[in-house]
Amino acid sequence: MSGVRGWWVAAWLWRLCGLLLSPLAAHSAGADASVGEALYRQGQLPGGAPLGGERAEGGSVQGLRAACITCHRASGLGTTEGRTVVPPIIGKYLFRPHSTNVQDLSLPHVPGYRSTREPYTDITLARAIRDGLAPNGRTLSYLMPRYALDDATMASLVAYLKGLSGGAVPGVSDDTLHFATIVTPDADPVQARAMLQVLESFFADKNAFIRGGLRPMQASREIEYRVSRRWQLHVWTLEGPPDRWEAQLRKRLAAEPVFAVISGLGGRTWEPVHRFCQAAKLPCLLPNVDLPVVAEEDFYPVYFSRGVLLEADLIAGWMAERQVASDDTRSLRRLVQVYRRDDVGEAAAAALATAAAAAGMAVETRQLRAGAPERGDVAAAMRNLGGGDVLVLWLRPSDLATLPSGPPSVAGVVVSGQMGALERAPLPAAWRAVARMSYPADLPDRRSVRMNFPLGWLRIKQIPVVAERVQSDTYIACGILAETLTDMLDSFVPEYLVERAEVMLSHRQVNGYYPRLSLAPGQRFASKGGYVVRFDGPAGASLMPEGDWATP
Amino acid sequence: MAAQQLEFVVVLALALAGPMAALAAGTPADAPRHDHSGSKGLKVSMAEYAVPDIWLLRDDGRKVLLPRELDDGRPLVMNFVYTTCPGICPLMSAVFSQFQQRLGAEREKVHMVSISIDPEQDTPARLREYANRFSAGSQWRHYTGTVEASVAAQKAFDAYRGDKMSHDPLTLMRAGPGKPWVRIDGFATSADLLEQYIAVAAMCEPAKSAR
Repeated sequence: MSGVRGWWVAAWLWRLCGLLLSPLAAHSAGADASVGEALYRQGQLPGGAPLGGERAEGGSVQGLRAACITCHRASGLGTTEGRTVVPPIIGKYLFRPHSTNVQDLSLPHVPGYRSTREPYTDITLARAIRDGLAPNGRTLSYLMPRYALDDATMASLVAYLKGLSGGAVPGVSDDTLHFATIVTPDADPVQARAMLQVLESFFADKNAFIRGGLRPMQASREIEYRVSRRWQLHVWTLEGPPDRWEAQLRKRLAAEPVFAVISGLGGRTWEPVHRFCQAAKLPCLLPNVDLPVVAEEDFYPVYFSRGVLLEADLIAGWMAERQVASDDTRSLRRLVQVYRRDDVGEAAAAALATAAAAAGMAVETRQLRAGAPERGDVAAAMRNLGGGDVLVLWLRPSDLATLPSGPPSVAGVVVSGQMGALERAPLPAAWRAVARMSYPADLPDRRSVRMNFPLGWLRIKQIPVVAERVQSDTYIACGILAETLTDMLDSFVPEYLVERAEVMLSHRQVNGYYPRLSLAPGQRFASKGGYVVRFDGPAGASLMPEGDWATP
Repeated sequence: MAAQQLEFVVVLALALAGPMAALAAGTPADAPRHDHSGSKGLKVSMAEYAVPDIWLLRDDGRKVLLPRELDDGRPLVMNFVYTTCPGICPLMSAVFSQFQQRLGAEREKVHMVSISIDPEQDTPARLREYANRFSAGSQWRHYTGTVEASVAAQKAFDAYRGDKMSHDPLTLMRAGPGKPWVRIDGFATSADLLEQYIAVAAMCEPAKSAR
């Protein structure tokens, strides 16, 4: 151990020399890292002008496309694209003296790092940024632009890189990783219990492997293996109206710092949670929500899909194809949508109404009163419908169960699968015979093999299946978190968690309800598509897709 | 400027017609190349690919059959990209953009093809937006489709690397239907592309002079 410490002292002395000898040192002392931050993250020069970079080949880049963050990512830990390596550019990697021994636990491996590279100094780093030369004078990759920065701006950028992703990380201690899950007060209580059971069981599983304390394993030659950490779950149950949630979340985070939010369950809105995660720079991975926030420029919240908004697009596409296929071009004349106030169907109906109006259809919405179904109010909404109408039901199972036994005579009926519990929707038999369903998941027979993993796990854990989709998605979310953490080694940087999840997802085969999940910078909805299906076979028990998997 | 370049293309095409005719006749061999700084590791080879019947969705929303789209008679320059790619694809697309500029008026005779390797995300609308970013002319089309179709297209050209984030820079060229493909592995600059294009265009010359 003392050997390691001595080595660190040497490293610091070395770094200090670099600083003292550097003509930039004068600038560094007073360098404003916030200038460096604007440059790094927005590609903005002091004064607001866009940053410009020149590549040896392929021309110039400006603004955000020239910003460090575009390739080196928010964490600064870099990435790989095929055989192309984008190295980490945070201080502790840039300035680390070269070493062939893997002794330094403070410097976990990241894919873009080569430990044999000579360390940078402030001078050689400025040269790399301006002239594209590595410390040994070799030309940097053709991907790296050259930036003509003045000394003061350069010093700010270097100061920023020295501090980037270098601080203490909340929710991470020597032996424990803290995670939160968030339940909103309007979430379904049965689903909430089911979700928490999966989370608690998964966390217990994770910790069951840790026996005999948490000492790092040691081998000869002082190579220390990474420490496995206990996972601790914090359940943040919110109270009151949505406008009071953010304050509660901030308080919970201050009291119980966590590394990330995993899964969670929402009701009619998730927006305050989304906003909180983005503002607190807290990854919020894969909550169970029907109506996520569509803001893919936000970095931290990641969702399974666009939920009911995806369904609105699927239905719009289905209607457009029906219009084209139909002999009578006016066969779908009017869109009539039914939703219950204060539920997610309202936003979906608004999105679909916009698309239908753009396609030249008349649009009508029939809003049911907020709260539980009232006797006959669903049936009342089915009146005054005609042959040119498409009826779209944004309703929960409790409402679908109160439909009148016979469907109206209309051009089409579409039921939201996301809201109506997919094929389990309690549609009366006569409705099943005519209805279509927007289906933002893989078809049951196609997902059945993949579903063996979550369902088998639930069986082993003796967890009853009471909300299959929520339980499966929660299990998949936990699996994704576990695999991503394994990929990260010990680089506990919140942004890096999201970045590694982006890379890792495409390799996964076990995705439960979804045929595939995939993310990238600027992609925050992992499953992109769905079907419109009709019910077939005896009692409408099997599903027939009306077309291919669509990704609107 | 454009006229000068075109002249240059023709002169070089004639100069290269001899050796290229031999290449076109069969044996795979390395086409001529120069290493530019920054494009080290460029590997140019000749290849034959069978393009299966794959339906793709063009950036204008039309369904097209890939082999028919490729066999439209024009020389082809093709790559694989995706619109949310942070590093390599925007650079490859910038190079395509420069390449079409360097071609000048000649560019109308070329068919440039960019196929998405992230087709579920890359809808025709997103592809159009991406194409506009690189001032793509009407000769440069972007294609998407189902995941299966995109993977099949990648596999047909030995470009499939498992997922979108594992792809490596690759450009493919062909003089016309029935001609062999030139495969350029590695990051090719617009100068590299022009050089290879001239060589590829030369493959058509013997046929023309025979007429």
